[in-house]
Amino acid sequence: MDGLRKDQSLVGATDNINEETNNITQKVISEGGEETMVPPVGNSIHRSSSRPQLDLSGAAIQGNFEERDPTILLPNQSDDISHLALDIGGSLIKLVYFSRHEDRVVNDKRKKSAKERFGVSNGNIRRTFPILGGRLHFVKFETAKINECLEFIHSKQLHRGDNDNAVIKATGGGAYKFADLFKEKLGVSIEKEDEMDCLVAGANFLLKAIRHEAFTHKEGHKEFVQIDHNDLYPYLLVNIGSGVSMIKVDGDGKFQRVSGTNVGGGTYWGLGRLLTKCKSFDELLELSQRGDNSSIDMLVGDIYGGLDYSKIGLSASTIASSFGKAISENKEIEDYRPEDISLSLLRMISYNIGQISYLTALQLGIKRIFFGGFFIRGHAYTMDTISFAIQFWSKGGAQAMFLRHEGFLGALGAFMSYEKHGLDDLMVHQLVERFPMGAPYTGGKIHGPPLGDLNEKISWMEKFVRKGIKITAPVPTASPRTTGLGGFEAPSSKGDTLRCDESNLNVGVLHLVPSLEVFPLLADPKTYEPNTIDLADPNELEYWFTVLSEHLPDLVDKAVASEGGTDDARRRGDAFARAFSAHLARLMEEPAAYGKLSLANLLELREECLREFNFFDAYSTIKHRENEASLAVLPDLLMELDGMSEETRLLTLIEGVLAANIFDWGSRACVDLYHKGTIIEIYRMSRKKMQRPWRVDDFDAFKERMGFGDKKHQRHKRALLFVDNSGADVVLGMLPLARELLRRGTEVVLVANSLPALNDVTAMELPEIVAEAAKHCDILRGAAEAGGLLMDAMINIQDSPREKSSSTPLMVVENGCGSPCIDLRQVSSELAAAAKDADLVILEGMGRALHTNYNARFKCDALKLAMVKNQRLAEKLIKGNIYDCVCRYEPAN
Amino acid sequence: MEGDRIEEVRLVHSPVDEISHLALDIGGSLIKMVYFSTSREQPIDKTQINASRDSHAVSRSSKDGHLLNGRLYFLKFETSKINECLDFISSKQLHYRGLQHCGFPASDKNIIKLTFSTMVKATGGGAFKFADLFKEKLGISLDKVEEMSSLVSGANFLLKAVPSEAFTYVNGQRNYVQIDHNDLYPYLLVNIGSGVSMIKVDGDGKYERVSGTSVGGGTFWGLGKLLTKCKSFDDLLEMSHQGNNRVIDMLVGDIYGGMDYLKVPVHFLVTWEQIGLSSTAIASSFGKAVSENRELEEYRPEDVARSLLRMISNNIGQVSSHKLDFCESKGEAKAMFLRHEGFLGALGAFMNYQLVEEFPDTIHLAGEKNRNPLVGDLNDNGVIECCVQARPAVED
Repeated sequence: MDGLRKDQSLVGATDNINEETNNITQKVISEGGEETMVPPVGNSIHRSSSRPQLDLSGAAIQGNFEERDPTILLPNQSDDISHLALDIGGSLIKLVYFSRHEDRVVNDKRKKSAKERFGVSNGNIRRTFPILGGRLHFVKFETAKINECLEFIHSKQLHRGDNDNAVIKATGGGAYKFADLFKEKLGVSIEKEDEMDCLVAGANFLLKAIRHEAFTHKEGHKEFVQIDHNDLYPYLLVNIGSGVSMIKVDGDGKFQRVSGTNVGGGTYWGLGRLLTKCKSFDELLELSQRGDNSSIDMLVGDIYGGLDYSKIGLSASTIASSFGKAISENKEIEDYRPEDISLSLLRMISYNIGQISYLTALQLGIKRIFFGGFFIRGHAYTMDTISFAIQFWSKGGAQAMFLRHEGFLGALGAFMSYEKHGLDDLMVHQLVERFPMGAPYTGGKIHGPPLGDLNEKISWMEKFVRKGIKITAPVPTASPRTTGLGGFEAPSSKGDTLRCDESNLNVGVLHLVPSLEVFPLLADPKTYEPNTIDLADPNELEYWFTVLSEHLPDLVDKAVASEGGTDDARRRGDAFARAFSAHLARLMEEPAAYGKLSLANLLELREECLREFNFFDAYSTIKHRENEASLAVLPDLLMELDGMSEETRLLTLIEGVLAANIFDWGSRACVDLYHKGTIIEIYRMSRKKMQRPWRVDDFDAFKERMGFGDKKHQRHKRALLFVDNSGADVVLGMLPLARELLRRGTEVVLVANSLPALNDVTAMELPEIVAEAAKHCDILRGAAEAGGLLMDAMINIQDSPREKSSSTPLMVVENGCGSPCIDLRQVSSELAAAAKDADLVILEGMGRALHTNYNARFKCDALKLAMVKNQRLAEKLIKGNIYDCVCRYEPAN
Repeated sequence: MEGDRIEEVRLVHSPVDEISHLALDIGGSLIKMVYFSTSREQPIDKTQINASRDSHAVSRSSKDGHLLNGRLYFLKFETSKINECLDFISSKQLHYRGLQHCGFPASDKNIIKLTFSTMVKATGGGAFKFADLFKEKLGISLDKVEEMSSLVSGANFLLKAVPSEAFTYVNGQRNYVQIDHNDLYPYLLVNIGSGVSMIKVDGDGKYERVSGTSVGGGTFWGLGKLLTKCKSFDDLLEMSHQGNNRVIDMLVGDIYGGMDYLKVPVHFLVTWEQIGLSSTAIASSFGKAVSENRELEEYRPEDVARSLLRMISNNIGQVSSHKLDFCESKGEAKAMFLRHEGFLGALGAFMNYQLVEEFPDTIHLAGEKNRNPLVGDLNDNGVIECCVQARPAVED
């Protein structure tokens, strides 16, 4: 990493399209939710009002963001990191590299106070999580173009370690073959790692750490498999490279090569090359897509005159003899379509591998078979054929599973052999996978020279659109041909545009976020599924795609406006729209392309995509305006509330939360409403309509718990309030509810997003809002002071800690997310710490209480509040209508 | 196939032969024919036979009355040239003969007159596919015998009745195996036709298809034909003997720059050796064709054929080896080959006439040349001398 500092200009010019666009906010979250929005110099103005405390590591970020990539500035990185590992195979070089981001000088007083209060500190994090925060990138090159690979490494200075005698871990046959070349060109030594060791280490890591890594693929349908970590071993790892290795894996580092076959990827490509004169593996694979194997394979029907051989379960379309038809006909090789030859060959080899794998597993009594290696390439027909062979021979008792990172097992394993990154200790919840701009087009494959800056990326997007390149599934499902012994008709092809090498399209950048934790109050983290809506339902999928597509132009307008509406902003906005549309098109075509698709992922993808084009807060203007407007009417509302009896007030407060939740820029219906009146008008109208019973109405149970029933209840010690939108929603809805809880002696922690998403309020913005509200309310002021939120009023929180106030504290923590939804398996350590003393969780808003977590169960009391601002969701979820309300209360059991 | 024509020629020049009881196995690439013919000598009287038969056989023969001494002949045609097969049958007037010898004239002991039957036992997919053709051209109905059961009864017959039928092939050496009839079952029958069937045989009529692969003889020939422009299977096989697979196969040493990769399991190499292949570990069949910038024409067809043969036989060996788990001592499992390998089905169909006597020790191979022909050397006619009962073949 020395090199990076020595040669910044070089690095700055060589960012690549395939990585994530380097944007500051992503780094923020990847560093464990330390919200340190490093504003690029040119963009910082609009944020200055809402984040006054943000002029932090300005010293580290120099120059014009447009020209230089701030991620290269890594002031505090340690020097003992090796950044690169290689798997140099016969046809492809797989490269895994690590990028780490600067340890920013955190100057967020609110956060410091929160950390101190909850017993979280940087020091603690380091001790508890020895894993380095950063990103793992997966890229590959053709072995024939090894120079491109060397240039890539050089331009990124990935080979520069802590001293001049840098060592790169590498595996694969080429690690031997090209050792001298690396020495000569890069001056680095290759340290060879055993291939099998690497494969197993890579596979174990992926199966352990990545939630949606393994999947089945049958008849064109991909389904992700939940791996039970306690019941993973033994498994059979079938790595299909040039040849095929079958490895019985019994645990970390415990494995044995038990079988293999010499008929593998090399056979397909080698024979295929001789037979078809194809120039590349991908070309050959692409040919197969249009092939019909019945012209060259001898089918049972050919022998039996169109009849089945039903006695042993062979249908007429079963292949009796691969290439068997070439025997009887007086044809030359030129008389056969290369497409048909390629398909016959592909089927023969895939099926054979599947069969031998199953036989091996059977003999060893192994239940699970995972397939990896460069041969598969996410190719639907290949996977279907292997699956079919296993299904057929096991009579349905076993199934083939494939890995999304199939091609990278070896490289990943080599990377892990550094033993410096602590990857072994990494848990599922500490990884976030993100799919950058280029993913729908190129995946991890390097095309052409690396892209330097955002400007080039935008140009790249524009170029792709100009060329009119259609986004289609890289590998459509298999054509309706026979696949194997036993015969099966695959579903028809979705199209004939084939993009091979899908595997890299399925691989995003892995963000290692050691500070993420599982929300400790989840009743059963193992069975927790955040998403309420199943996008596996094609109707749902289409609906949400339509919603997102239709919302896109408006979002672009907002985003462009947020950046001053300049030409540059417009250009970025258009590029964002293209990039996001490309993602959508890709996912529409192949919903499982990025792993198991959920609404939460989809919404997060949109936010990530905005950030990628330097739109950090598209709704900032709107949020600011609405906060001000709401804060202006808050005193009146508080006065009104204070005039009520406690019991009436509680109902009014809940009504208020539900009513205020109507202010949501994520909802088209509500956006239309905004044109009809002022905020307070709408709020009052909305609240007036809150006639109980609500569609889901557990208010009485909640009220009882709050002490308005016969039974005496202990007041809650601490409540976590997951807030949703800026403006009326938080100011007129949640803040008054928080105030009520504080008044009753319950500590309140407001939980807000780490990063902006739509008009959601962020943890960064909340202190200011609270401070403003506190001007008119003693309860809030005392609580905020006690919670360390009013730091402007204090000299230095660290020097004069808590005992300053005896009030019940009101605190703010970030949730670790940058999405309108929340996956409670991956929250900030700060939130996790705050949750430890909490006995009430209140989730508010559609994203956090309905789209996700509606069915979540907690160890403590939980209240879910939302107004349903979507007819379809209302029908689906609560069998109701738009504007119906949900007040779901679930006491701790 | 050229080699088989010898048989035909001889038959043509043996006008006195009584050709009867034909059975067919019509596969995807080849038609295998088994027929019984009396030898030039007159049918042997049952007393003559008795001399060389065990008492059991005697009782059977006395009960059924008539035994014919003769030979089983084996013949192949390409399925694509089915007309040659039809012509052959027609030229032998087999079907007419059948018509003429309607019934079973017990009075005439010297001239064999077979049951009138327009039925010919046939197995293989072609028995269905070409049924109409046989009916139309020859007036023959094909009586379909189930394929798998034909294979099994053919194999059982050969293993029990024909000495020196089975052999191992190690390091280029044929070693005939004495089969212990009491310790024959279970065995795995791997029938390599166009495709490959693997059948676990537990006894007469007791069997189960346990595995199979579409990568078989048809693949060798079909791919070989495309790759080498070879005109016949035999040429291809012959060429493969002169080839060197190292030219085009990626060996373990190739990947690791000449270094031995020690983790290649030994047991595979053993398996390969058992079926007569050298122990040089192939990492990837045809894998070298990937990296080398050579066109198909730049490779010697012999080398291509060799790689192909090894790929397919290795694979069959491997798929089969996994199915040997029923053997108690699978470590000692060895691959054995049958001299009549290609004719199991046809022979089984022939057995279905239920004409052939219990397998007496007398059955032996005619024309044994005391040489060790190569596997697959189809010049080895393997004519079998045996006795059949002269009784109605078809019960109805």
